[in-house]
Amino acid sequence: MCVYSRFARTTSCIALLGMLSLWATAARALDLLGGDFQLHGFASLTLVNTTDNNFFGQSDDQVSKDFREVGVNASWRVTPALQLSAQLLSRVAGEIDNGGVRLDYGLVDWAALSSEDGRGGIRLGRVKTAYGLYNTTRDVPFTRPSIILPQSIYFERTRNLTVSADGAELYFERYGESGMLSASFAYGQPQTDTDAAKVALVGLNRPGSVDSKLAPDLQVMYEGAGSRYRLAFTALRLDLRYRPGYGDVLMAGRFKLTPLIFSAQYNAEAWSLTSEYAFRRTSVDDFGPFFYNGKADGQSYYVQGTYRLAPQWEALVRYDAYYADKDDRDGKDFAAATRLPRFTRFAKDWTVGLRYDVTPQFMLRAEVHRVDGTGFLAAQDNPQPQALRRDWDIFMLQASFRF
Amino acid sequence: METIPAIKFGTSLVRVVLLCLFAMALLVAIAHAQTSEPVMVAIAHPATSEDTIPRSSLRAIFGMRLQKWPAETPVKVFVLRDDTLEHATFSKTVLQVFPHQLRMAWDRQVFSGQGQYPEQVGSTQEMLSRVASTAGAIGYVKASEVGQNVRVLKIR
Repeated sequence: MCVYSRFARTTSCIALLGMLSLWATAARALDLLGGDFQLHGFASLTLVNTTDNNFFGQSDDQVSKDFREVGVNASWRVTPALQLSAQLLSRVAGEIDNGGVRLDYGLVDWAALSSEDGRGGIRLGRVKTAYGLYNTTRDVPFTRPSIILPQSIYFERTRNLTVSADGAELYFERYGESGMLSASFAYGQPQTDTDAAKVALVGLNRPGSVDSKLAPDLQVMYEGAGSRYRLAFTALRLDLRYRPGYGDVLMAGRFKLTPLIFSAQYNAEAWSLTSEYAFRRTSVDDFGPFFYNGKADGQSYYVQGTYRLAPQWEALVRYDAYYADKDDRDGKDFAAATRLPRFTRFAKDWTVGLRYDVTPQFMLRAEVHRVDGTGFLAAQDNPQPQALRRDWDIFMLQASFRF
Repeated sequence: METIPAIKFGTSLVRVVLLCLFAMALLVAIAHAQTSEPVMVAIAHPATSEDTIPRSSLRAIFGMRLQKWPAETPVKVFVLRDDTLEHATFSKTVLQVFPHQLRMAWDRQVFSGQGQYPEQVGSTQEMLSRVASTAGAIGYVKASEVGQNVRVLKIR
């Protein structure tokens, strides 16, 4: 364990020190390098109302303002082959995230190989985890197709485990006449030090802590005909261990999660069709008699269509389905074993949404969800499982700004 | 029973009207395409080592991935605003990428620490002067507006 974290800590320290030592000269660089230093950011505020259950704060028959995102990033292209970049992020997300400022990524990108036909290199430091089509910029409203990403694959609940990792990523790109082939392989320490990561795995009020082994993450992507087609495959492996705290009823258990994601997107001039399918093998062992141990194969998918009604207007329709265990889709076995509601084991979500880009910097969005099941809800906002309702709707309004 | 011919007449009328509408839309679209889309060319700093470039490399350069010319000079990309006709036409006809896809690709890279935005200039005049005066610069203009001090890059 120590070896893993030492490796991760060292690589991220090197990257951070590099950033910091260059930070002092950054202001001067702005002038000297003529545009090779860039500063960008975003901020968003979302209003959430639900007919039942709480999502992003106290939203049940109320309007919650507890979903806010602010990010600022800086990048400096030192030479064509070397770029330093970092982003600070503050996120308020109901009881899951309190808005504390975190380093979202901080890395040195060295494109060691580069030619007319492609490039390859390494990123060192805190690197965003390649996971499906949207994960690397999941907190940036302008890059999302909707106010919230499809929860069956991009859970808010467990985001901290897959958001970024401290380590190294090798990447490779090849530019061909028909399209671009790219691949990346990362090996790093996922972020398990937040309470949100722990609660997502073992539930509320546990005195212990969670730590992770170094996680490998592979993504291969093909973008054909000028990004008309985008096809991707992602494989990630998380190996997490629970360390019981004082007086803990849980024992030193282990989680192994292996999500595989298949992604496909077709982009026409006025519309896009996107679908992703995820298969998640999960094994939970050695927690003792007071926990739901066992193996399950989770299954998720969504199909999403967006249509550009006018240059500044875009409409969205999506069907998103999540099953915690594909052999127990309706959760009956789970309910019998735990006496928890069976509908906490799935969620089927119909979404319609509208986006209006008032200016290139300012965007407004509205979205309605009709959900059957509570599979993606966070325990922090819904501490009483018995108070959950199976059929519920979400209404959201979002304003976001960027520079 | 007497209503059937009326329905038939109604549906065929609708069909004829729809057909006329589609034909008109097509003609308008063709006329539109013929009159308003300028011919765009990629331009580079006159000292650039290349005269021709593969479309795939040009895409990678404007996609802010490929950062240097074969002779090791850093690439410096200039673009006009997304909503200008020149930018849209260059994206669609030369790069063969929809402009909003190009914007998404830049956003994804900038906000994950993997790349930077190109430099946006305000006019064709500024585009020509910046490309002419910046080593390694690349941009685009209408074929009819190419100046003396820039080199036209042909697609190989």
